[in-house]
Amino acid sequence: MAASMSSSCCLSSLRLIPFKRTFFSSVNPPSKNLILRPIPSFLRTIVTFQKIPTVIVPPLSASSSSPSSSVDLQPIEELPPKLQEIVKLFQSVQEPKAKYEQLLFYGKNLKPLDSRFKTRENKVEGCVSQVWVRAFFDEERNVVYEADSDSVLTKGLAALLVNGLSGRPVTEILRVTPDFAVLLGLQQSLTPSRNNGFLNMLKLMQKKALSLEVKADDGTSESTTDEASVVEVDLESKPPSVVEVEESESVSKIVALGSRGMRIREKLDKELTPDELEVEDVSYQHAGHAAVRGSAGDDGETHFNLRVVSDAFQGKSLVKRHRMVYDLLQEELQSGLHALSIVAKTPAEV
Amino acid sequence: MEGVAMKLPSFKSLAPTAISVASTFSIRRSLSFARRSSSLSAATITADSEPVSLGHRARKDFRILHQEVNGSKLVYLDSAATSQKPAAVLEALQNYYEFYNSNVHRGIHYLSAKATDEFELARKKVARFINASDSREIVFTRNATEAINLVAYSWGLSNLKPGDEVCAPLVILTVAEHHSCIVPWQIVSQKTGAVLKFVTLNEDEVPDIDMLREMISEKTKLVAVHHVSNVLASSLPIEEIVVWAHEVGAKVLVDACQSVPHMVVDVQKLNADFLVASSHKMCGPTGIGFLYGKSDLLLAMPPFLGGGEMISDVFLDHSTYAEPPSRFEAGTPAIGEAIALGAACDYLSDIGMPKIHEYEVELAKYLYETLASVPDVRIYGPRPSESVQRAALCSFNVEGLHPTDLATFLDQQHGVAIRSGHHCAQPLHRYLGVNASARASLYFYNTKEDVDSFIVALADTVSFFNSFK
Repeated sequence: MAASMSSSCCLSSLRLIPFKRTFFSSVNPPSKNLILRPIPSFLRTIVTFQKIPTVIVPPLSASSSSPSSSVDLQPIEELPPKLQEIVKLFQSVQEPKAKYEQLLFYGKNLKPLDSRFKTRENKVEGCVSQVWVRAFFDEERNVVYEADSDSVLTKGLAALLVNGLSGRPVTEILRVTPDFAVLLGLQQSLTPSRNNGFLNMLKLMQKKALSLEVKADDGTSESTTDEASVVEVDLESKPPSVVEVEESESVSKIVALGSRGMRIREKLDKELTPDELEVEDVSYQHAGHAAVRGSAGDDGETHFNLRVVSDAFQGKSLVKRHRMVYDLLQEELQSGLHALSIVAKTPAEV
Repeated sequence: MEGVAMKLPSFKSLAPTAISVASTFSIRRSLSFARRSSSLSAATITADSEPVSLGHRARKDFRILHQEVNGSKLVYLDSAATSQKPAAVLEALQNYYEFYNSNVHRGIHYLSAKATDEFELARKKVARFINASDSREIVFTRNATEAINLVAYSWGLSNLKPGDEVCAPLVILTVAEHHSCIVPWQIVSQKTGAVLKFVTLNEDEVPDIDMLREMISEKTKLVAVHHVSNVLASSLPIEEIVVWAHEVGAKVLVDACQSVPHMVVDVQKLNADFLVASSHKMCGPTGIGFLYGKSDLLLAMPPFLGGGEMISDVFLDHSTYAEPPSRFEAGTPAIGEAIALGAACDYLSDIGMPKIHEYEVELAKYLYETLASVPDVRIYGPRPSESVQRAALCSFNVEGLHPTDLATFLDQQHGVAIRSGHHCAQPLHRYLGVNASARASLYFYNTKEDVDSFIVALADTVSFFNSFK
């Protein structure tokens, strides 16, 4: 699960999907047109894949604070440079009290967040204290963060993240895993409890970075309200960020494919020579939810349902098949494609 | 106790930064020396010739308290969240599983008979512990929260509907209630249209009894209040409240989670209609609690959960239900846990609840006084006085310091375990105008040294954070 970042990404994220089975169901849609199975209400939480190519540390092993845990940690070199510096600084400080001092020092020097940005969208969920994070692009499309908290320790942690991640491009930010928290040696940030503000802060910052990118891609100029379309798979986080699919989806809405859709189709066609290939743009479903959530809606091509029947899948496990598709569509995933729902079969299985 | 108090340096005269780690140890040592020479509780029967406090004696029964966390000795001050369990209770639970585990009520064989006997004996022990007239008035539940929900769904749904009168029935609560005694009533009120009214606090920071009295009218069907508040440490005069409520035909539910473990609670004397408590706050295991309900009330209540045990006869199209308490105990109960709860009742009774209460009253006063002497500390709830006895807990805030920071530092640097947050009392915190508070809560296995360690650690924490301002 460790080292290679690009192609193993989806594999590792696959492993952590709790509701995997509903999504990759092998129920055959009765007709040629892809029909979205009505998902039972209790499983209605759609699991989509983030394009975060990271190794997510399973919560259980995160609870052991020793660096010699069995899970390989993300190499420090993959972190943004400022964050690397910060981690090294903390590693050099051995005494816990001194670490806290360092943390508080960061917090003290954090640029204050204007109170008008202390909104619900900017609040980090699952914190006992109140933490707000704001993100916006600078002229070079690097993400700039601002944060605040009423708890000085949390403010220190937020400052650490702000200092470490601000001014960096989206892809770099998204690559960061919470692993580095282990290296900081701050015990409190490691408990995989529901009130783990640090993890949630990082997640929110990544989520905001992603949504900035998406919005910028589509040219929609927005205020930095939260984009609802990306759902994180997390065994610890609270449900508020779950995106729900409307129940009436027994018939797919036929949407003409845009440029990305066409590219996807071409790529898959060329590489997999499928017997059957269906590419359905279902981004509207998530746009609808963004609207429900209050922001102005995202019309970009972000979510697709794919149905591929090809010999290329012969002898490969479900996970391997999905990985194949993902590998082929890496470019799209890097440039705004959020998530794919994939049905991958061999001709014999149809 | 006066001797001890004098030895503890007054914080107002010391600059915070002057309290170094070295001096804390010397303070602790000198205090513990003073401790041994002062007698703190009533006649103690020990092998030692010198009198030792209840806390010191009891500690021996709790192995969990003798450990180090984060490099410091554990000082456990979170008993209001859950209590620690003495060896006797753990043994009872282990014993059950090791020697006579078997399903209850249904079997004929030896093990089953034994398990049933012990289970029902536990019920009797609980009944005796709160002086219920009949053990059938004790319904075992998963915890107090479930017990309140039981009353809400079973009694509430059928009794809180508007009758012939147009006006909606009234349920009276206080703003200081635990969520478990607010949310179920909200759910019921959404279904039945009952109205919930909340008694607010008076200037002493206790629920305003006069306001409560005035609120009670013919429309009132239920008064659901805490006995002892888990945040304010105040107690309500339940006996009087019951009298006022019964005058208008209203019932009273008492949330006794913070009172049953700490003092004598006599349901007949209180004359409450319903009373709930949790085992895990009174040295018993988690997973079990109980509802006390007057027989005639329970008899008239429809079932809460359906299943085995609570039935009499089952047909395809209908079933008939068992008598209480079985009617409200669907499925296999937490047998081992109930038996262990019985053992907890025994353990506490052996020490004597009056003795425990007496010890805690002293400890409560000591905690309050030493905490109040720390600068910039704001303690919630009433001041202790002649007429006001606080429970042995203090919810507080330090000016300019977030309770989470406080609790984190106390834990990481000093091994002191307190709680920070809203303590399942968000409305109360909102009323007090704060987001969260820190809370140190004691039980009879805590000692004055624990309090001293806490205060010293607190001072260190405050000075640490202050140095960054």
